[in-house]
Amino acid sequence: MTAMLEVRNLEKIYTRSRFDRTPTFRLNADFTIENPGVVGMMGPNGSGKTTLFELVTGSNSPTAGEVRVAGRNIHKVRTDQRDRLAIHYHQSYQVRHFRSFKPNMLMEPAQSDYPLLHLFDEPQFNTQDGYIGFMLDFFRKLRADGRLVFLCVHPNERFHLEIVQEICESFLFVETGTVTPFSDYSALLEHGPARTYLGDLLTERAA
Amino acid sequence: MTLFKAENIQKRFGARVVLEDISLSVEEGTVHGIMGPNGAGKTTCFHVLTGYHAPDGGRIVFDGRDITGRKPHQIARMGISRSFQIMNLFDETVVIENVLLALPEFRAHGFNLTRSVFDDKALVDKALGVLDQVGLADLAWQKADALSYGNRRALEIAVALAAEPRIVFLDEPTSGLGVEATRQLMGLIRKLRKTYTIVLIEHDMNFLFELADRISVIHWGQVIAEDTPAALKANKWVARSALGEVA
Repeated sequence: MTAMLEVRNLEKIYTRSRFDRTPTFRLNADFTIENPGVVGMMGPNGSGKTTLFELVTGSNSPTAGEVRVAGRNIHKVRTDQRDRLAIHYHQSYQVRHFRSFKPNMLMEPAQSDYPLLHLFDEPQFNTQDGYIGFMLDFFRKLRADGRLVFLCVHPNERFHLEIVQEICESFLFVETGTVTPFSDYSALLEHGPARTYLGDLLTERAA
Repeated sequence: MTLFKAENIQKRFGARVVLEDISLSVEEGTVHGIMGPNGAGKTTCFHVLTGYHAPDGGRIVFDGRDITGRKPHQIARMGISRSFQIMNLFDETVVIENVLLALPEFRAHGFNLTRSVFDDKALVDKALGVLDQVGLADLAWQKADALSYGNRRALEIAVALAAEPRIVFLDEPTSGLGVEATRQLMGLIRKLRKTYTIVLIEHDMNFLFELADRISVIHWGQVIAEDTPAALKANKWVARSALGEVA
């Protein structure tokens, strides 16, 4: 069976400038997610989370490697059809901006009518307004419809950890450009850098 | 009977996708709530549903007729009225004049410089009748800018009702209102629901929970939940939030 998402030897290198090719940031990822689900993504600011989302949705081009959504290399799909495979939600809105030097007529069709991947980049989980439950139900609905949901959270309140434990089945931890997958929450917490990142929240929770 | 229906509505502004896929159905004689967090696309949704913006995709059906892409004035004539989050009143005139100007009979005649609008007793009586529906008949001859904020909101609604609609869209009617004015507005909407089908677009969950028969929750330009207030209130996180337990 074709995996929902294959990220193969993906590398993105940002350099100082077009002429000075000294790398300033390097992101590497290599993982596969076979089935629909809700995947939590965490990591410190500047670790490459949004860059990974951009690479997966095809709005940013990799330096090397490839991203396959339901078997299709997203960077070879027509730019006007990439959102039929994956959507990147920025907090409360969506921006679709794709660039490609190759004309769309020379690229492949998406062969999908509804996005299979939904990537939520730090949705605002507000304590006061009560919308959290509806957002979580929406993630569940997408999953039940056979979609793969990514939820990027930057936990700074204890209830943010409650949310990820309630909804996320597996995790990706991103730190200084390295993406590490984990099968569940307890496996994530066994990872030293993840524990350090969540440090105070875990302690407060214990208290 | 379904009076108003939106199917798979999409709206983009350049690269920004504000409405991804909005579908909702409003039954005649009900109050339908549309709620969502700030920036969810509520006001854009209001503008698209009432014809101010044409959708980029999808269909809007009113009373069995496809009205997608019709102009706002055509939509208004069919019986869809709307009242805005930002008030649009003629402040320099008296209260009743705001309503008179919105009556279909007045609009049909157009402006007549030789004759005062106040001379037409039938028209004035009709306007007074509309003001009475919102509880402003006694203030009909006051200057509009002398009204309290809550009464200005009621006057806005009266202007929407003057067009003799079958369905009224209200965009964030509680916006800027204090506790007492919000309570009065709630009473007014309860009264109006006996006569009109109402679509309420609101950020204030509790306001909608009190008034709506059904609620569509929108976020990320999509309907992320749709149900009765009782069912939505039962959501664990809504209950925790209401009790201030989330921290």
